[in-house]
Amino acid sequence: MTVNAQPWSLLETASDRDWESGTALGRVLDLWCDSLGVRAAAVFVEGRDGWELVQGSRAARFEPVLAGGADLLQLPGRFRLAVDSEQPLRQPPDAPIALLLSAAARLHRLHERLKEQEFAENYKVVTLEAVYDVGLAVASTLDLEQLCEEILLRAVSLLDARRGAFYLADGGSYTLRGTIGGEARPSLPHDDPGMQSLEPGAGTERCGLDLLPGARFPLTVAIAYKGQTKGLLAVADKESRTGVGPFSEADRRALELFATQAAIALENANLHRQALEKERLEREMQLAAEIQRGILPTTMPSTSALEIVGWNRPTRQVGGDYYGSISLDGGALGVVVADVTGKGMPAALLVSTLHSALHLLLEKREPNADLLATLNQHIAESSSSNKFITLILVDVDPLADALGYLNAGHNPGLVIRSDGSVDQLPASGLPLGLLRTASYQYRRVPFVPGDLVCLYSDGITECTSPADEEFGEGRLIEFLRERRTEPLSNIVQELDEAVTRYAAGQPQGDDQTVVLLRRT
Amino acid sequence: MTDSLKLKVDRRDGVAVIYTDGYINNQGGEEIAKVAYQLVDEGYKSLLLNLAGTKIVNSIGISILIEIIERMLEVEGRLAFCNLTPTIDKTFHIMGLAQYSSIFPDESSAVEQLS
Repeated sequence: MTVNAQPWSLLETASDRDWESGTALGRVLDLWCDSLGVRAAAVFVEGRDGWELVQGSRAARFEPVLAGGADLLQLPGRFRLAVDSEQPLRQPPDAPIALLLSAAARLHRLHERLKEQEFAENYKVVTLEAVYDVGLAVASTLDLEQLCEEILLRAVSLLDARRGAFYLADGGSYTLRGTIGGEARPSLPHDDPGMQSLEPGAGTERCGLDLLPGARFPLTVAIAYKGQTKGLLAVADKESRTGVGPFSEADRRALELFATQAAIALENANLHRQALEKERLEREMQLAAEIQRGILPTTMPSTSALEIVGWNRPTRQVGGDYYGSISLDGGALGVVVADVTGKGMPAALLVSTLHSALHLLLEKREPNADLLATLNQHIAESSSSNKFITLILVDVDPLADALGYLNAGHNPGLVIRSDGSVDQLPASGLPLGLLRTASYQYRRVPFVPGDLVCLYSDGITECTSPADEEFGEGRLIEFLRERRTEPLSNIVQELDEAVTRYAAGQPQGDDQTVVLLRRT
Repeated sequence: MTDSLKLKVDRRDGVAVIYTDGYINNQGGEEIAKVAYQLVDEGYKSLLLNLAGTKIVNSIGISILIEIIERMLEVEGRLAFCNLTPTIDKTFHIMGLAQYSSIFPDESSAVEQLS
């Protein structure tokens, strides 16, 4: 078969792009078809599923893949030629034409392969950039909804998944927070048997969790931080140009990478919440401390007949101990030490309530059991059921050699006599606020010059040593007996030092309060 | 998010605008290609893809968009994009789509250039 050379000279103007794209190969086929008078022709190469079309002439009507190859004409290399003509052709083209067709086909295919490789390389860069961008987003925002959507979008697109879903732990289940490409199961209980398929080494075979109904090739990974599963990231059906298929082990690792980013984001948000809560609590404590500072006295009133010194060391910024003095009827003075259950703002508020109520009920009045019962009712009504107050009140008349006392569940006051003997001022009723109908007894004991009275909170006697032994009432009594003639300020300071030495670095477990009175 | 890509076409003087709503994956990409090639057959040489409704494109979708760009170049036409999310914009630049097509921030500037 000879061909007219003139039209072939048109190939001299074909550009590199024409040869690479297959356009020039198409022109060669056109020229050859014209020269032989056949309708159309196409070059095929042997592929996995049969003979795959490389390029056809302008009138080509060939299927992209031919199952059989019997009617294909031989070309150099792995290429074959299909011809659409009225008369079947049995001979392949002349050698020069055959070589040209084969070479052009080879160039086109090499170029296509190069394009695919370039595409794959560029997509790796896209993947790296996505991981970088997600990392930046995790570090810069605490908006969990936005982060969840971002991570889901990236995971689905980079894995070429057709569908995806994002779940977060919520109580006893994982709740759906976002979905792409179709419906997803609204929630999954924590103890679903399918969760076992998320164990390391479970592989990419069919996941035991049916999170994306109808999905043929699901893949789910846990969003876990320090061994705790905080959510689930699910994708399904990896796309290709011919359909969908399973994900690879590399895909699983990529998905786990995104899940790790999500876990970090969740932990960041959790830590931020905790920090905000801590900040709120600290502000609350500061406020409570200010309230308490305004209530506790800076000094206690002393007269020529009565010395009083008070001392308080709260265990935290604000405590539940209270002490103070109240002017009573007839020039008498009431001295109070109280201990409120709990710490922080709730205790501070209750202390404030107690302070106001004490002054309202007792100011310029004579203390008695009924007044304490009224105070008890008020505290019971204004505090929560788990809050109560122990309290000891002594009232001292400067003209009398006795003192009266009321003790609502508080540790007994101590009276150290000048001869070293000790009397106690024990409780005569329940703590305030415990039982609305509680009753109390008002009692009196001698209080003469030289007598030392000590009212204290259990933070002193319950202070523990490194050997876990309490300071105890006995040790306190002995301490006071030995120092009963010293100035009260010295006794308080020495008691502070003694308790601190006794604790030997142990953290202070409770507020510590001491009020000393001496008849002079 | 919608299950499959939805398209809307606005044929104007000199340029046809294709609005996408949803995921540009294999199915979505094929839908866009079908509409684009039909518009080319109708004689349009300038096509604008408005991706305001699309937050996600996968590699299959990108390869189909590249094929559309190549087809437009063959007919001496051009394909442009507008309203890309920052992520998609970055992806298109890395994958080379920006080299052979035009990317605009919004539809009005795109139409002005293409008309």
